[in-house]
Parts: sequence; C-alpha cells; structure tokens
Amino acid sequence: MDNNVTKFGSMFAAIMGIAALGFGIMEFVGEEWGPLTAEGGTFTAWRAIILLCAGVIYLSSVTNFIDVRQIVKAVAASIMIWIVAAMDIWAMIAASIPSGAEEAGEPWFASGADFLAAYGPPYMPAMYLLVPSLVIIYFITRRRIAS
Amino acid sequence: MERALTADERWDLVDKITKEVVKVGAYKPGLRDALASLTVNPWTGIPFAIAVLYGFWTFFGEFAGLFTDGFFVRIFGTHWIPWLSGALEGLPDWLFTILVGDRAVFAEDFVGDPCFAAGGVLTTGLFMPFAVVLWAVIALFLVLAILEDTGYLPRLAVLVDTVLHKIGLHGFAIVPTLVSLGCNVPGVTATRLLETRKQRFMMIALLGVFVPCGAQIGMMEELIPGLIGWVFLTLAIGYLGFGWVLNKIWPGESPEILMDVPPYRAPQWSNILRKTWSRTRHFLMVAVPFVLLGCAIVMVLYATGAMDTIASGLEGFLAAVFGVPADATASLVVGFLRKDLAIGLLPIDAMTNYQVFISVILLTIYFPCLATFAMLLRELNWKEILATLGFLIVTIFVFGGILHLIGLAGGWY
Repeated sequence: MDNNVTKFGSMFAAIMGIAALGFGIMEFVGEEWGPLTAEGGTFTAWRAIILLCAGVIYLSSVTNFIDVRQIVKAVAASIMIWIVAAMDIWAMIAASIPSGAEEAGEPWFASGADFLAAYGPPYMPAMYLLVPSLVIIYFITRRRIAS
Repeated sequence: MERALTADERWDLVDKITKEVVKVGAYKPGLRDALASLTVNPWTGIPFAIAVLYGFWTFFGEFAGLFTDGFFVRIFGTHWIPWLSGALEGLPDWLFTILVGDRAVFAEDFVGDPCFAAGGVLTTGLFMPFAVVLWAVIALFLVLAILEDTGYLPRLAVLVDTVLHKIGLHGFAIVPTLVSLGCNVPGVTATRLLETRKQRFMMIALLGVFVPCGAQIGMMEELIPGLIGWVFLTLAIGYLGFGWVLNKIWPGESPEILMDVPPYRAPQWSNILRKTWSRTRHFLMVAVPFVLLGCAIVMVLYATGAMDTIASGLEGFLAAVFGVPADATASLVVGFLRKDLAIGLLPIDAMTNYQVFISVILLTIYFPCLATFAMLLRELNWKEILATLGFLIVTIFVFGGILHLIGLAGGWY
C-alpha cells in the first residue's frame, strides 16, 4: 500500500475510533437526540461496551497502518460494529413483519405503510457507524492487491 | 520397570522433538492469520467475544420473538385454545382438565394468559414446545452451527482456557457448555471431548446444574426478559464457584492439552442448515413427549387434589429455606420432567420479582430434566452418578439458601 493510502487509513481509524467512543458514551446515557436513539432494550449496556471497545481498538490501529497487525485491528473493530448494527437491522425487520394485532379477524401481517414506517428514524448509534465502517473493505482490497 | 512420564516430562519431550524437527523460517501473516491471532489475544479477543455473544443472544431473542409474539401467541390464544375449549366443553370435568385445562381459565372474568394458565395437554402442552420453545431452539442451534463452521468456537475455547483451567477444566469445556445452552442432552455427549474422567464428571455435573437449555431460556425470554441477565450472572458465578470446589475435592487429573485451531472459513449454508435441522429434530423428539407427559401429570395432580396436598406439605419448607411461595410447588414438581414447562407454570403474577428470580434459579439448578438424567446414567458410572446427585442436593441447599439470605438481607421479598 502506498503512503497516501496508509495516511488515509490512519485518518479513517482515528475518526472511526473517536466516533465509536462518542456513540458508546451516548448508548450509556440512553437518550434520544433527533434521528438518533439509544433508549431502552435489554442489552443497552452491552451495546455501549462493544462500541467503546471498538473505539479503543480503532484508535490502537492508527499508527503504522501499513502493517497487517494494525489493519486487522480496524477490521476487528469494524466487524464488532457490523454485528451490533446487523442486530439493530434484524430487530427492525422482526418488528416490521407481524401486524401486532391480537383479535380474530384483524390482519396477521403489517400493512405496507406500517412495514415501511418500521424502517424510519430514529436509528440506534451503531447504524450510523455501519456505512463509514464499510470503508475498511477498501483497505482490505488495497492490501490484497499490493500483496 | 519403566515408569510413565509425568505431564511436565511429556511437554519437555515435545519441546525437544520440536526443536530437532521443526525449521522456523520467516513468517508473513496474511489478514486472516492476523485476525485469527487477534481473536485469541485477551485484550482484543474478549471485546470481540462480547460482540459475538451479544449477536448470538440478540439474534436469538428477536428470532424467537418474531415467531412467538408475532404469530403463535395469537394462533393459540385467539384461535386454537378458545376453539378447543368450546369443542370439548361437553367432556367430563376430569378429562377436560387434563386435555384442555382448568375451566376457570375459560370464564369471562379470567385475567391472565390462557396459553400459560390453561395447563392442559392440548393447550399449554402444545403451546410451549411449538409456539415458544421451538423458535428459540432453532435460533440457538443456527447461531451455534455458524460459530462452529466459521472456526470461531475453537478460538473462544482458547480465550477461556485460562479461566477454565482454574476450575480444573480446559478451553474445550466451552463447547459442551454452549451446546447445552441449546439442549443439555447433546451437551452431555459433547463432554467426550474432555480428556479425563474427572473433567467429564465435573463438566456433566456443572452442565446438569448450572446451564439452562434453550427451551428454558426461551421461556425466560418470554416471561422474565428483565431478569434474564441477573439469572445468567448468578448461574455463571455458581458454575465457576462450584466448579472450583469440585476441582478441589474430586480426585483425578486435569492435564494441559494442545488445541487444534482451524483457520477461519466461510461457512457452507447447506451444512449449517443440515446441522440445525438435525439438532432441532432431535430436540423435538426428546422434548415434546416429556412436555405433554408433564402437563398430563400436573393436571392429574390438580384434578385429584393431590397438588394441593403436596403444596401444603411443602409450603413451610419452601418458604423457610428458599423464600418461595406454595403456589410455585406445581412448577417445581413439573421441573423433574421439563424445566421449560416448569418455568411457564410459575405463578409470576402472584410473586415478587425476587421470588420469581429465585424460583427460576432453583428450577435451573435443582435437578436435570429426565432426558438429561437418562444421558447421565449412560455416560457416568454409579459412583459418579451418586456423586452428581449429592452435588445437586448440596448445591440446591447451599446456593438456594445463600440467595434466600441475600434476598432477606436486601429486603427484596
């Protein structure tokens, strides 16, 4: 990998690290801020711990990003974020399918409007980290080409 | 006469042979190798394991919730149970009670969920395995198969090796433990991975007492989602604490082992689905007959008035030793057959949070279900079976009693 890519990688890891730490703290606070929510759920504290750890692991990969042992830290932190975000999306999917009605004669499945509404904001913090964390795939690909 | 080598001497010999035959060249790890090392290094591996286990439980909860709360509670609660109670209304009281349940549950003024409260073989007896437990178990087995086939499970074994060595086991003990979270029966079989009789005995005893099966977890997730974290924390403390004691008092060896850790691989979905299906089918064949039998026994005990006699006989004892009300007796009786059914029969509305918590813990630790017990008979010798039963009795009184005392001291009743 050339110098520019390595520098970009370090920047990416630093920004993601700070963002994951920030979102991890938000999960601990557990409030709603506009389109972002960190309220409720059985595993809120666990999500917060995972995001905080992901943040620290990202930050530990900032230096010498060209080394595979450093890049892999950013990969692991990204996988941790993907797991949390994937479970948030899975929870949305699971909530969007049944109608929630209990009486006989009412529909079993959610209407089109309710189905779509289940995917609207506010979103959990990990969902906001999901898209930027996918940038790690670029570094994995670049490394594969370089080697 | 030649003597056998000690474990240390054997390791020294391994080192010596390795030095002679292995040539170490320059090693350039790839990304996959680096990820493999990173996930067994405690500093990065433990947070990674927390993320994986979070995914495991969240997927399980949401998957089970989608089917159970989204569809099956309505299928049974709104359609099947009301229809069945109407269709079989003309049956004699004793037969109606056994097949459908207590007639009071179908009165206009009944407050509660008939799916759990009815108790009949064709109502609660079908609702629990097919509406609640089946989906939880499918989710658990599916995720377990993915963890196995990607190669993560052996890494988790390496990661927990140090902790498990403190209680005389080794990292691979995590495999039967995780399998038991699906069903204790294959979990007991999986203890064959362990090296010595001591380790197998210890593992089986700990599984039978401290590891709830997927069916139980499914019921907990449905009925006491807010307490499930505390239940698991308490059971984990018991697992490690009593494991440590067992290691000290039970004779035998706990040797070091070499673990073969395969590389990470993308799983084959056909394999995952085949494993999930085969384990789920086995679970259904073992569990459903016992749930139906459990419901029948409980309803016969109710119909004949025997349950009231048992409850009044045990009332003082249960309250004094464990702080559990007499209403919970029925579920404790059923717990011998199926613990999931027992949890479903707990009169949660009539109990305080701490009583529910202690009852669920007691149901988990007080006796393995019949199917698991049958496996114990097959896997252990008579001395070990007696020791397991002794361990069970001591654990119930010591652990249950300590929790009761903590509840009294905290004023949580």
